[in-house]
Amino acid sequence: MMLKGKTLLDIRCMSKNFGVTIALDNVSFSVSYGEIRGLIGENGSGKSTIASIIAGIQPATTGEAFLRGEPWKPTTQLEAIAGGVGMIVQETGTIEDISVAENIFLGRYEPFKRGPVINRSKMNAEAQKVLDLIGVNFRASQPTHTLDMQQRKLLELAKVMYHKPDLLIIDETSTALAQDGRAILYRMMHQQVEKGKSVLLISHDLEEMMEHCDTLTILRDGHVIDNIPKEKYEPGDIKSKLVGREMQGSYYRTDHDGCSNDAALVADCITTIEDILCLSFRLYKGEILGIGGLSDCGMHTLGRALYGIDEVVDGEVRLPGKGNKVINNTMKAKSNGMGYVSKDRDTESLELNASIYANISSTGYQENRGIGPFISAKKELGYVMEQIENLLIKCVGPHQPTRFLSGGNKQKVVFGKWVAANSDILILDCPTRGVDIGVKASMYQLIYKMKQEGKSIIMISEELPELIGMSDRLLIMKDGKISGEFLRKDGFNEHELINYMI
Amino acid sequence: MPEKTEGRSVPALRLNERYEIIRANRFVNALFPLVMFLLIIVIFAPLTGGQFLSRNAIISILNQALIVGTVATGVAFIYTTGNLDISVGPIMAFAAIIGATVYNNTLSVPLMVASCIVVAVLLMLFNCTLSAIFNIKTITAAIVMTRIYGAINSKILGASTLRVDYTICRELDNGGFRYAAFFAFFIISFLVYHKTKIGRADRIIGGNRSNAVQTGLSPNRFLYASFLMAGIGVGLAAVFTITRSGTINQDTGTGMGTDVMLATVLGGMSIFGGAKSNSYSGIIGALTVTALNKGLLMVGVSTTVIQGIRGVIFILLVFLNSNSGREKILPSRQQF
Repeated sequence: MMLKGKTLLDIRCMSKNFGVTIALDNVSFSVSYGEIRGLIGENGSGKSTIASIIAGIQPATTGEAFLRGEPWKPTTQLEAIAGGVGMIVQETGTIEDISVAENIFLGRYEPFKRGPVINRSKMNAEAQKVLDLIGVNFRASQPTHTLDMQQRKLLELAKVMYHKPDLLIIDETSTALAQDGRAILYRMMHQQVEKGKSVLLISHDLEEMMEHCDTLTILRDGHVIDNIPKEKYEPGDIKSKLVGREMQGSYYRTDHDGCSNDAALVADCITTIEDILCLSFRLYKGEILGIGGLSDCGMHTLGRALYGIDEVVDGEVRLPGKGNKVINNTMKAKSNGMGYVSKDRDTESLELNASIYANISSTGYQENRGIGPFISAKKELGYVMEQIENLLIKCVGPHQPTRFLSGGNKQKVVFGKWVAANSDILILDCPTRGVDIGVKASMYQLIYKMKQEGKSIIMISEELPELIGMSDRLLIMKDGKISGEFLRKDGFNEHELINYMI
Repeated sequence: MPEKTEGRSVPALRLNERYEIIRANRFVNALFPLVMFLLIIVIFAPLTGGQFLSRNAIISILNQALIVGTVATGVAFIYTTGNLDISVGPIMAFAAIIGATVYNNTLSVPLMVASCIVVAVLLMLFNCTLSAIFNIKTITAAIVMTRIYGAINSKILGASTLRVDYTICRELDNGGFRYAAFFAFFIISFLVYHKTKIGRADRIIGGNRSNAVQTGLSPNRFLYASFLMAGIGVGLAAVFTITRSGTINQDTGTGMGTDVMLATVLGGMSIFGGAKSNSYSGIIGALTVTALNKGLLMVGVSTTVIQGIRGVIFILLVFLNSNSGREKILPSRQQF
């Protein structure tokens, strides 16, 4: 506690370029002992880049960093964690095929070795201690592939916290967590600070940042725009500094327009191998149906089952508007006008090495046919360019590899695929996860525009504000079942919704 | 994003960043196979006292390259989906045995051609079924089937050589049959690969199967289409094998699987499939690999050592061609 207020980390004139792209340009800021520092900025502003440099994932091109007054230049994450800096990365950083304990001690099995043999019971016991400290609901001996996304994020937290880092870096993690997971994360952050240690938090959730951070460092296009202490937080001011222009206070829809009484999709007592038990509901034409709950409530599985990815072992998903066609695989779903945006965008919804053109055009091979089986280059280019232009995808051109886009622009490409395909029913699983407020606003506008065009949207989300802001009707799930149903016209009460979740 | 550099100083590039930029340059990718081919010529022309550039040597290289290139063009469809099949050698040999036998019994060239293609297509589709229906990895199925088809070929041929009347071979050759058939197949493959949904979907499947499934593409359906195209290529190569020498023996097709893989990587394509795949890399690669084989033989290197040299080149190229893996290990790198 003696050190509170003194500088722990000092970043001086740091730059980083990737080829001709400058990710960081002369960035300087410092983090004190006992401080939660927030790094906030639009997609592509350089937040994750600077965090990864501090955590030893990649080197800076120029500039210096000092930790506890000493030069800080870790070359690996292992070196960084040994030196007192641990980071939870934005994308999942766990290995599926090994146990939770093995993930926690990955690359550091020496203390548990007896000759060439690893003493697994000792390792599991040690791992369980840190899991108990965090308060998670899975065991150290459990195989990692049995964990859901939230549990894996918490496993990453445990992996870092085991080393009791002086600086804990949390990169866009809370968006992958539901309410209960976030509560754990926030508790760990504040415990860290109570011990006189520090946290560097990266998030797009402004409310979360304002609530938990002592100071906000705003980044835009690789520059530090401002450092704002908590007493000077003003949402409008922060938003305008983030995007470089004035932002309106709210970006959700404000209407109470209803929808058609014609069902677009019927889930009839569907049961999946895991998570869902005899669940029924109807989705109407022109409806935005929100589905919320805690992360393990089954809502993500529901989205996958509706689109035919996860097997429905009993009951059926059918489309009344298509002669009651039963959807039991993704080919049928797509050919009957359905689209799906996965929560796990990079690994399931995109081919990252392929161009924007190849990704968007992948839903239109049939529609863009010219003579016989041959694809018309002109039609296809129009199909792609319309989405790039309408969705304002920030890119060098249609042939730019998708992996070079920021998270928000990648998400726009995924949206573009399905908008171009003119999908009548769109299932969106956490569509705004990891995207900045500017992109969020354009996503919400697009979703609303699709509703007005008579299309039906299922929006699965762990963020209650966006469900409340966008849904015509809201289904709350708990333990694989619908625990509550609420209508926009009656008004949504956040506390009531949470009561149905837990 | 170049617009971000305006008005700013650009920090100096590191060596590995320079390498990544050079590797990502499409002109470098386009030139690489040609440079490799020219390198072979520059090395072996003086070492063989100019014999490497003699008419006979060039024709020999072209004839063999035509066979390897035909198979590689067809097999490119399979590689693109992220699958491998190395059983093309014994399948080609088996198709050639059937084709030669049909010809010897009917004296009909069309029947010989048709039987070679039908047999090769059926066997390739059988391999595909093992993967698509029985969920055996294509490479595992191919390793097993290579042994089985090889054993069948040995049983049929024994130590003897199956011969076809050489006059028909010469007539077909003089009429330019091989080149005409090859170009027809190449153009059809190019169109199917680059202008229809088969090639496009193959690349999406090879790059990210989960994404392909969620996009409504059926990996199995396109895998069958890919094996069909490969089967046609292997069948045609069997015809070329018959007409080239008029003989089929136990050595026919030996090493074809690795030759095709090597030709593909020498041609600048990744055998891991995905976005950067194409239908034409195998052609220039086939020229390079056959020129390499020929050159090494002409300077007196034993066939065993040649196998070793090809292996080293293959591993080196696959390493250079593969992703470093850093992006997967370092997800935050994608966020800049």
